[in-house]
Amino acid sequence: MTSLLRFPGGRLVGHAAFVIIIWFLIMRLNDSVDPLANYYIALVAMYATAMFGMVILVGLSGQVSLGNGALMAVGGYVFAVTSLHWQTVPILGVPWNGWWSMAFAAVGGIVVGLLIGGIAARLRGPYLAGLTLGLAVGVPAIANRFPELLGGESGLMITVPYPDGGYAPVEEEVFVDGTVEGQSGDASSVAVPSAEATVSPDDMLTLDNFPAADASAAAPSVDASVSPDDMLTLDNFPAADASAAAPSVDASSGDLGATDLSGAGDLIDAGFIIERWQAGLAITVACIAAFIALNLVRGRQGRVWRAVRDDSIAAAVSGISPAKAKVSAFAVSSLFAALAGAVFAQILSYVGPGAFGLGLSLSLLVGVVLGGRSSLLGAVIGGLLLVWLPEFVLSLAERGGWEDQITNNAPNLIYGLLVVLVVLLAPGGIVGSVQLLISKVTRRAPKGV
Amino acid sequence: MTSFIDYLIGGVSNGAVIALMAIALVLIWRATRVVNFAQVGQAMFTTFVALTVQTVTGSWVLALAVAMVAGAILGVIVQFLVLRPMRRADTSGAIIATFGVLIALQAAVGMIWGGDAQAYPQPFDNAGIVAFGRIWPISVYDLVVIGVTILLVVALSLLFTRTSIGLAMRASAFNPEVARLSGVRVSRVLTFGWALAGVVGAVAGVLVAPSSTVSPTTFDILLVFAFTAAVIGGLDSLVGAVALGVFAGLVISLVSGLSNSGNAPVVALILLALSLITKPDGVFGHHKARAV
Amino acid sequence: MLSITDLTVSYGPVEALNGVTISVPRGEITAVIGANGAGKSTLMRTLAGLVTPTAGQATLDGEVITRKSPEDIVRMGVALVPEGRSTIPELTVEENLRLGGLWRAKSDRRAAQAEVFDLFPVLAERQRMRADTLSGGERQQLAIGRALMSNPKCLLLDEPSLGLAPLIVTQILHLVRRLADETRIAVLLVEQNAVTALRMADTGVVLNLGRIVQTGPASEIASDEKLRHAYLGY
Ligand SMILES: Nc1ncnc2c1ncn2[C@@H]1O[C@H](COP(=O)(O)OP(=O)(O)OP(=O)(O)O)[C@@H](O)[C@H]1O
Ligand SMILES: [Mg+2]
Repeated sequence: MTSLLRFPGGRLVGHAAFVIIIWFLIMRLNDSVDPLANYYIALVAMYATAMFGMVILVGLSGQVSLGNGALMAVGGYVFAVTSLHWQTVPILGVPWNGWWSMAFAAVGGIVVGLLIGGIAARLRGPYLAGLTLGLAVGVPAIANRFPELLGGESGLMITVPYPDGGYAPVEEEVFVDGTVEGQSGDASSVAVPSAEATVSPDDMLTLDNFPAADASAAAPSVDASVSPDDMLTLDNFPAADASAAAPSVDASSGDLGATDLSGAGDLIDAGFIIERWQAGLAITVACIAAFIALNLVRGRQGRVWRAVRDDSIAAAVSGISPAKAKVSAFAVSSLFAALAGAVFAQILSYVGPGAFGLGLSLSLLVGVVLGGRSSLLGAVIGGLLLVWLPEFVLSLAERGGWEDQITNNAPNLIYGLLVVLVVLLAPGGIVGSVQLLISKVTRRAPKGV
Repeated sequence: MTSFIDYLIGGVSNGAVIALMAIALVLIWRATRVVNFAQVGQAMFTTFVALTVQTVTGSWVLALAVAMVAGAILGVIVQFLVLRPMRRADTSGAIIATFGVLIALQAAVGMIWGGDAQAYPQPFDNAGIVAFGRIWPISVYDLVVIGVTILLVVALSLLFTRTSIGLAMRASAFNPEVARLSGVRVSRVLTFGWALAGVVGAVAGVLVAPSSTVSPTTFDILLVFAFTAAVIGGLDSLVGAVALGVFAGLVISLVSGLSNSGNAPVVALILLALSLITKPDGVFGHHKARAV
Repeated sequence: MLSITDLTVSYGPVEALNGVTISVPRGEITAVIGANGAGKSTLMRTLAGLVTPTAGQATLDGEVITRKSPEDIVRMGVALVPEGRSTIPELTVEENLRLGGLWRAKSDRRAAQAEVFDLFPVLAERQRMRADTLSGGERQQLAIGRALMSNPKCLLLDEPSLGLAPLIVTQILHLVRRLADETRIAVLLVEQNAVTALRMADTGVVLNLGRIVQTGPASEIASDEKLRHAYLGY
């Protein structure tokens, strides 16, 4: 990335111009595709936003975090709660709208990031990974603690902010007829992209299966595995009804190219495509995040992070505070995670513990490792991979007539194996490997000339 | 008051299982300086192997034995995968690799045995024991769990203190160079450690399975509890792992009993954060941060 | 007898040893002396199998020991006491010693331990204590004892004097002298502290920047003033 983009002029202006051009191009693309593609674009942009933070945290500052899904939960819940409770409250004379909630989500993300970063800065690798693992499992469980405010196990439906700045409440009956897929128990715990996996087998529910649940009760609570979230999966998914092609719900609609636009029904007639609007939002947020990240990563702060990662003692000797560097990396990555979480909440029109479980955290790790741990471009590629692979596997499965059990787990098996392979053979991920290849070729070229 | 004590008693067998899983983490940390986050994935896999064996043969003991062997084999495979990034001193890479293995193993379990939670047949009486005119919150099965755990812990401590391989394992963990110069084949010893951890994890999985259900992600929460116990115990200390594991079991049982089980992970998170804030090297950690 | 022929070692572009040839006969102490960074530790680590040489070889009684693993080299009869306190502080004295002969039969190990206790009686007294409770001199004795547990034909000692009081260094080197005389073991001793080392040694070798600049009877080297000024800095 760094070698590809080198602007002669002011860095800030260069980055701004670059990001605006990208934003413009993707927005154009977004306007010219069907709602299903809009939905995919939204997911990729959402992942990319969160993974810009992972690049800074894991790649640049060398702190392996599994907690960014939990940080997304912070953003998502702050968004949901503020937009549900405060939507009639104007701030500074400006009526409440989605951006206010986004701002609150961002602030919430930074605050939580500073808090966790403060603890994390003192910890070495595995301790940090374990603490963030605890976050990934513990934070979504907080929702259970405050069922009135946070909706408990079944989560919160949120109203979709329409572009005019107002809110149209989601009509319940539109979503009630969503089908309950039988196999959602199999849904991957990592791959979130497809609708059915959105609320993946609820990580928290497994708790009920833990013997502590009822120490004195004799019978194991098998029925606990029938998750109420299985029902919510589709019901809460606004796109489910709008576009018949709610991805990968039933086998017949898997063919991406031939999505039936007419299925989108009323909303298209009304000239407003919710997926397109959501994708636009996600793209915009991703571009803002990219602009911030570019400036940080390629500026002084980026050098500070790398110096601390490579040798914190040497960095300290040269006047850098390793603790400050680590905390700031955490805060920035937390900000991005919170923004992504707020976007995710809007894409789903829902927040719930299952949507932000360990699986989400793991998928962020997978994406950033595969794309390239220390490259912002890698984050984008990782996002593409996270969205594309499950769909690709699904199309293979349809052609090959795979059993559901195989199909549902294949993406994660591939992710897991790929992650191990990348760490073993190409630690730089896709971007790192391409860079290595390019540098080999270009280094050899002058000799020949 | 009675219920308070009942919850404590009921928590012991959970604590035993957490302790075992924590021991597995500690064994590998001591030997290789890696926290094996894939441990619960391995345990889940071997538990499903055990389930299959038990369904076919009806023998709990045979199922346990097969799971232990499978655990050893899986442990060796995972070590092989993590070794290379460790050689490059890529600590992040090693941690990430263990998560990669975890993801892949959970998916593999889902592929082979399905993603739905399945009941694991209860091999012993799981009803509360009736004695002294009341029903106690502990069953024959709980006693088996506690007994097997004690047996394993004793066997491990004898292994470490009384045998040559135990001494070789400790020496290799503390100072691999001196161990090699003494003629210890360190890489083999480390592999043995990973296999041993796999065995211990497999036992934990089989023990916990009947009182819960099994599905690919059931043990995720166990990983958090075990890691919390291992970290508070100092990561280096088997005694610490056992003590804190049992303690964690009691706390979780209390929290679940007095409020609701959904709070247990939050409590684990708070315990973990508090312990890391106050003592980043654990309460049983006997030496200061060793240069990794 | 340990014969080192044309041994060359490089760490990437850095050449740490260049064509080093030394022979260490049984029952004798050969002292390699040289300033910081002369390549002394590199020589020892290469002989013990921790570093692979780029050229040359070393043999023990005709058997090639270079390019083998440290574990195998110990079994062939070459034991290294590395620089610094090479004991394991978390283990007891007895365990540290047991470790040194772990690969041997139990009866051999017992016999070796008796010999070590005979040579270093203080270790027998401290058997059950953790190694980190020992004094510096006792720990160095333990380190040597651990190496002796493998019943080596050749003992490699890397700067045993490091950080020890001169009196204790003399005591330890006296014991090493006794060992060489009694057991006919070949001792290769590396020291920056030339005076003491050369007083105990039979042969002296001066190493500078990876090359041997002088070999000869220890007493001659010790009295060669030019050599001292040029390479040993006193
Ligand atoms: N692992 C290594 N990688 C690169 N260079 C090394 C390494 N070990 C030693 N060197 C270099 O090789 C040279 C010889 O080092 P060596 O440790 O053998 O010296 P020495 O004589 O033992 O010094 P001292 O008296 O300080 O122990 C030095 O220039 C040192 O910097
Ligand atoms: Mg040296």
